[in-house]
Amino acid sequence: MLEMTINEKACRGCRLCQDVCPTECFAYEAATKKVTVAVVENCIGCLSCAYICPSGAIAHRNHHVVKNFYRNIEFSMRMEKFL
Amino acid sequence: MSGDKIRLNTEWLCDCGGCHVALVDLHEKILKVLESVTILKCPVLTDEKNYPAADIGILTGSVRTEHDRHAAIEMRKNCKTIIAFGTCAVYGGLHGAGLAHSREEIMDHVYRQSPTTRTDFLPNNSVSSLEKMVTPIDEVIDVDLYLPGCPPHPHFIFEGLSALIEQRSPKAGKESVCAGCRRTMVKTEADTIKEITEGVPDKETCFLSQGYICQGSVTLDRCLAPCPNHGVPCSGCAGPTMQVLTEPTRDIRTEIGQRMSRLTKIPYDTVKDHLERTAKTQYAYAMATKMIGNKPTFLIRKWIAEGEAR
Repeated sequence: MLEMTINEKACRGCRLCQDVCPTECFAYEAATKKVTVAVVENCIGCLSCAYICPSGAIAHRNHHVVKNFYRNIEFSMRMEKFL
Repeated sequence: MSGDKIRLNTEWLCDCGGCHVALVDLHEKILKVLESVTILKCPVLTDEKNYPAADIGILTGSVRTEHDRHAAIEMRKNCKTIIAFGTCAVYGGLHGAGLAHSREEIMDHVYRQSPTTRTDFLPNNSVSSLEKMVTPIDEVIDVDLYLPGCPPHPHFIFEGLSALIEQRSPKAGKESVCAGCRRTMVKTEADTIKEITEGVPDKETCFLSQGYICQGSVTLDRCLAPCPNHGVPCSGCAGPTMQVLTEPTRDIRTEIGQRMSRLTKIPYDTVKDHLERTAKTQYAYAMATKMIGNKPTFLIRKWIAEGEAR
């Protein structure tokens, strides 16, 4: 089952995730000025929201990973070493 | 000195020394670190000229002179784990901008035409020779761990060091500076890019929403966001986020362009062009590394040439 979480503290309330989500997974709470995951069942795991989020606050788990053959090899070799 | 303590060497290469100050900024926590660590070599604490055998070696700064190269190689030989510490060590740092000039231009400017000195000769002894390029240390020696930041906030230094000492994985977040900023990102009618000297930015609203360029969203949080929380837009000193580094098509200028054009009425291309025109500033901290320099979309020489032709 796909899970999607938003780090509430990191959310700046820009609603860009709502703009780019093709399947309307998110809801905006005016009181807190934060976005929440409303319907996780809608999520198709395209990760558009994770990429547009300025804070990097959105995380997906158990989604189908599409292997990306077009990656920066210089960095990928070092990625696991970052503290 | 206790035999079971972890032995630590630190060495600075081409840097400002701020990373070593950041180590001292651990304040009382440094006492906790020293319970399990013995410092053998540290340019600001010990008078050790050689490179004693150690478990952890912290290297700050990039390789700019022949001495830097020698020191990096000696540290690698004598330390089991090498940490590239600070943005200069990881990405080349601010002096990466030196790549836009020839060695002769730099030497002339510093030693012959500097407005603040009267001497007019190039030193040929006592000063280590300048190398052709600014090189992040991982292009000279193998690096085990990277801790970017200018300097890294003591919070991350303590977490990194204690994880190493306790032999566990560090809690290293992949969030950007925006995650620690308290400003609210709202959609606005702003239609022009403003310099930070123009007007007074609203304290509660995101810089991007107001038309000011801020690199918070493309910068890895190794600082706990002090600048945007105190009225200064992020200059990207801790280097790019993981997604800018992994994806060749995503870049500092395209990511800021995407977000800013959605938050304001400023078109994507206007933001992108502005960032290309000011590329030496926007990419200052990370352009010496191949991780950014070799990106197929990173065309700084072309952008500089276009800027000069304007």
